[in-house]
Amino acid sequence: MAAVLPHGALADDAATRPGEHTWVHAIVRWLCITVSLTFIAAVLLAPLATVFAMALAHGLEVYARSFADPDTLAAIRLTLTTALVVVPLNTVFGLAAAWAIGKFEFRGKSMLITLIDLPLAISPVISGMVFVLLFGLHGWFGVWLQEHDISIVFALPGIILATMFVTFPYVARELIPLMQQVGNDEEEAAITLGAGGWMTFFRVTLPKVRWGLVYGMVLCNARAMGEFGAVSVVSGHIRGLTNTMPLHIEILYNEYNFVGAFAVASLLTLLAVLTLVVKTLVERTGYRRR
Amino acid sequence: MSITLDQVTKHYGGAPVVNDVSLDIGDGEFFVLLGPSGSGKSTLLRAIAGLSGVDHGRISLHGRDVTHVAARKRGVGLVFQNYALFRHMTVADNIEFALRVRHMRARARRARREELLRLVALEGMDDRLPAQLSGGQQQRVAVARALAHKPEVLLLDEPFGALDAKIREELRRTIRQVQRELGITTVLVTHDQEEAFAMADRIGIMNQGRLLEVGAPHELYARPATRFVATFLGAANLFLARRTPDGIQVGGKTMGSAERAPGAPEHEVVAVVRPEEVELAAARESLGSRYLGNGVIDEITFTGALERLRVQLDEAVHAPLLAASDADARALQVTRTRQVNRGFEVQQGQTVAVGLRRVHVLPTPISSFTACAPSALRADVLSRQPLLAELVARMKTRVAVRIEPALGHTDAPCEAQGEFFGTTVIAAEGDNVERAEWLLRRGVKDLLVLPEAAAPPQRVLIHWMGEAARSATLAVSASVLRHVPAEAVYLGIFPGRSDSERHSYGMRELLDARSEAQAAHGLEMRTELHFGDVAQELTRRLAEAPAQMLIVGVTELKHFAQGFRALLDGGRWPVLIVQRGAP
Repeated sequence: MAAVLPHGALADDAATRPGEHTWVHAIVRWLCITVSLTFIAAVLLAPLATVFAMALAHGLEVYARSFADPDTLAAIRLTLTTALVVVPLNTVFGLAAAWAIGKFEFRGKSMLITLIDLPLAISPVISGMVFVLLFGLHGWFGVWLQEHDISIVFALPGIILATMFVTFPYVARELIPLMQQVGNDEEEAAITLGAGGWMTFFRVTLPKVRWGLVYGMVLCNARAMGEFGAVSVVSGHIRGLTNTMPLHIEILYNEYNFVGAFAVASLLTLLAVLTLVVKTLVERTGYRRR
Repeated sequence: MSITLDQVTKHYGGAPVVNDVSLDIGDGEFFVLLGPSGSGKSTLLRAIAGLSGVDHGRISLHGRDVTHVAARKRGVGLVFQNYALFRHMTVADNIEFALRVRHMRARARRARREELLRLVALEGMDDRLPAQLSGGQQQRVAVARALAHKPEVLLLDEPFGALDAKIREELRRTIRQVQRELGITTVLVTHDQEEAFAMADRIGIMNQGRLLEVGAPHELYARPATRFVATFLGAANLFLARRTPDGIQVGGKTMGSAERAPGAPEHEVVAVVRPEEVELAAARESLGSRYLGNGVIDEITFTGALERLRVQLDEAVHAPLLAASDADARALQVTRTRQVNRGFEVQQGQTVAVGLRRVHVLPTPISSFTACAPSALRADVLSRQPLLAELVARMKTRVAVRIEPALGHTDAPCEAQGEFFGTTVIAAEGDNVERAEWLLRRGVKDLLVLPEAAAPPQRVLIHWMGEAARSATLAVSASVLRHVPAEAVYLGIFPGRSDSERHSYGMRELLDARSEAQAAHGLEMRTELHFGDVAQELTRRLAEAPAQMLIVGVTELKHFAQGFRALLDGGRWPVLIVQRGAP
């Protein structure tokens, strides 16, 4: 390109015109693509490749054997259980919050919107600490809980609570703008046609926001399975009991069981990739329709 | 009656958006609610549908009171401006929605759906999604969907707003046809007067939350009762004219001699002349109508079938036009058909003779305002008082200035020439009672005493002393309240203490007053019954809340100073005195 164009003032002039196919334009484009690709390769692809390389370093058999470990299986089960409880609960909460914010005017609405974002802003460690301070032995409700033989911290309820706290913005965040944007007309039409509240919700509102909802659930799920900080504080790291997958990976790694650690890590990565695939599919089908 | 509204009122954040609307719509009638945006027409429609509640008043559908019935149980069909079709459902599912809700069998549903699709001329479109249809087709589906459950009432909220002109026309015809075929009572909300004319059996015109006038399209166009309706329905030239014993005088020349009223005192009125009722000719002699004066063609606009002209009236024509600006105070709007145009072609700048074929006089009692003060400066300041300026702007009238140096001096005669016309305004300063009495004794019929800081009122209190002033007070109140979004309260005040016999007499009086206000002046007002001294009770009520105004009718001035001193002194609120029946 550069060879075709004359040098000097004419080239400068050409370079200032946006959209023109000049050598400056070409360089900038090439530079941008290279920088971003290098970055992705360095911080994303290399570590990912390492995970699988390390996991398979001693062959497939060793890799498969790492999953036979009962503690590892327990960690996988715990993570899936947590996600299975947290995602539906946060979906219900997200729908309720988005409905309230999108459809009604009330006092403290902007406050609610801000509060929903809070878990995104504060450190996960603090999110975990909060529950220890509330339900731990020396916490506000600790004595009462002990008297009634209920364990929350260092047990499944604590892990679920902490995960829920960290992940509850995702569904709500996704639905609030959607609910505000789609308006009330279709619901009002349904009501004048004789539909009741539930029917209007399930037949009209939910189908309208379903793709946004699925997208929010996918994000929520990804975070719920991968959460480390908050869960680490409340879990107590009891092997085979309160270790989720991310925590288990850390323990295995600290025990120099690299193959085991990376094998579990590879599974977690695969789950994340799967989530991303679902997300992309949802984006393709759902958002294209609008 | 199919739809009956009784004193329906709806507030948003304190301000009434629908203000005391009462209306009866007959079986099978096509009723159009017409008004500018923000006039409360859509809110009223939503209130009928049950989508928004009302703060006051009752709504009945076919004799059944539905004021507190949920929207889904009202059995109305509603069509929205932006269709509001269920986007994820096919046309068939959209139309069958109301039938599914009612658990109708699949076969019956299909039969009904096919019938409806034929009705709106969309056969075979069952499996399309709304996104695959054009705007006009989507709105047809919306109409079919709204009719599926055989509602008693069909409500249409600006259904053509999002469509282009040609499709709009087509859909208009379809809806009118469907409405006739089914004989369903229909209410359509629109801001488009052409649409209203084309479709309505009757039109109700709304402005600032009030239903101003209701009538057949041609009736409203030919004989509007208010300035707003006269100018909102088509174009209108508004003149300040005089009603004299010989007839209506515009610019000193008698026009409507048909409305002769011998013996009646001369007074100022607002006359409406439609642009097509203005005749232009080369000379006075060739006019077929009454001659108004000469004018110069200022502007010619070609609009297809019609030719629009603006004619600047000659300085010699003393016929003040009520216009938005002084520059337009002499500009007369004229429209002519091609045929007339061929008979007498005009060019820009040409001088022509202007005649008026038909003059309609508005029954409104407030024609114009005159700011009256002892000096030119003070009169000028008064004429720019914010509340007065707002009233003048909203009433599309004008404010004149009159200087009376001897204002308030007991025996001094009037300085300025001539009688008082229209509503005279004085500033509330000191000695208000003396100045008011001085003017009232010298022939002022309507007198507004205006405090310097008076803001637009939120409540207007109405009272009259003496039956002779009753009708005029109601008329003036109705006129004021058409232009001010305030609530009207009639205070019946009777001397002495309350006892059961006097109480029931008082209640009868209140009911009489209310029904007269409603029937004769279209004024909805609330009523209160008080016992005691009139001036005291009025003062007490006015002092209770800010932003109130008093309209009070008087018949005689014998004890005027004594009675009005407490009300007028201090200038705490605007007082409009209506004097009738006095010698």
